[in-house]
Amino acid sequence: MTKYIRIILTILVVIAALFAGRWVWNDYMHTPWTRDGRIRSDIVTIAPDVSGWVTHLNVKDGQSVKKGELLFSVDNKRYQATLEKSQANTENALYSWQLAKHKYARRVELKSQKAISEEDLEATRISTKIAEANYQLAKAEQTLAQLNLDRTHITAPVSGQVINLNLRQGNYVGQGVSVFAIVQADSFYVTGYFEETKIPLIYPNQKAKIALLSAGEPLTGHVVSVGKAIANTNTQSNGQLLPQVQQTFNWVRLSQRIPVDIKLDPLPDNTQLSAGMTATIHLATQ
Amino acid sequence: MLQAVVLGGVEFSPLVVYFPIAFILTAVTRFILHRLGWHDKIWKVSWFEVSIFVCYLALTVYLLSGR
Repeated sequence: MTKYIRIILTILVVIAALFAGRWVWNDYMHTPWTRDGRIRSDIVTIAPDVSGWVTHLNVKDGQSVKKGELLFSVDNKRYQATLEKSQANTENALYSWQLAKHKYARRVELKSQKAISEEDLEATRISTKIAEANYQLAKAEQTLAQLNLDRTHITAPVSGQVINLNLRQGNYVGQGVSVFAIVQADSFYVTGYFEETKIPLIYPNQKAKIALLSAGEPLTGHVVSVGKAIANTNTQSNGQLLPQVQQTFNWVRLSQRIPVDIKLDPLPDNTQLSAGMTATIHLATQ
Repeated sequence: MLQAVVLGGVEFSPLVVYFPIAFILTAVTRFILHRLGWHDKIWKVSWFEVSIFVCYLALTVYLLSGR
């Protein structure tokens, strides 16, 4: 009898171990979690729309800015002069058009008295139209010159924090060349890079628990989207346009990581987030 | 709630902690069984000890990972 109790006790512990081992395996391998999560945010790059010297720099590195606040100004002398030239051109075109209209009105009168030919009248009418078109063109150029002048003041397109500001007063900035970036306020979200084997377990609106490497209270959120594409190095071509196919091992393959975006719920007070921070993400299972 | 073990900025899996804990618990169990003299009464001691280690490991994961 004692012998049977000994055997049964050991077998019970072994069976318990089988279940416990299976639970640990499933917990690690078949639940949607990853230690490869990163905090991200919307980054807006600031590039001037006109070229020139920076005459006034209104922000410092790391400064918080409001939408519409002046960031820096570009030397506006050239754009001011261009605007004045355009204004003069517009005025010139306007008077030319008025003169042409006047001439045409007179020619109409003369035609009724049969003093000029039909062709003369038609030529005058077309000249009037050309003068009108020239006036419209001059007006458009003036609008453009005004726009360029206005754009010498670069304002913040969004509220947020200035990041990596290396711009200095006196620097020359080129049109369309980014000079620094703004991290948009309250735009933090999390991207978790999940193994492709776990993707079937992930669905939109799934609840997520995010633990930062910097410790503190875990954050919560929910899945917004699962990335539908990642880069495939095999599709690259070399100089002769031949496919560059990577060699792989037949026995061991690494699963790809698919980005899953997670929107954060309202953050607890005193939570310090920086885009790029590391996070561990656990998604709720059904 | 242990998500990761950070040593000098290097992140380790919490299993790095769970395994020694389970091992220590197994060793303590073995010591107690020896002291009580029940060790000889177990059928297939090696099976028993491996199994008890796995059970302790699962228990540690369950309790410490906060799930």
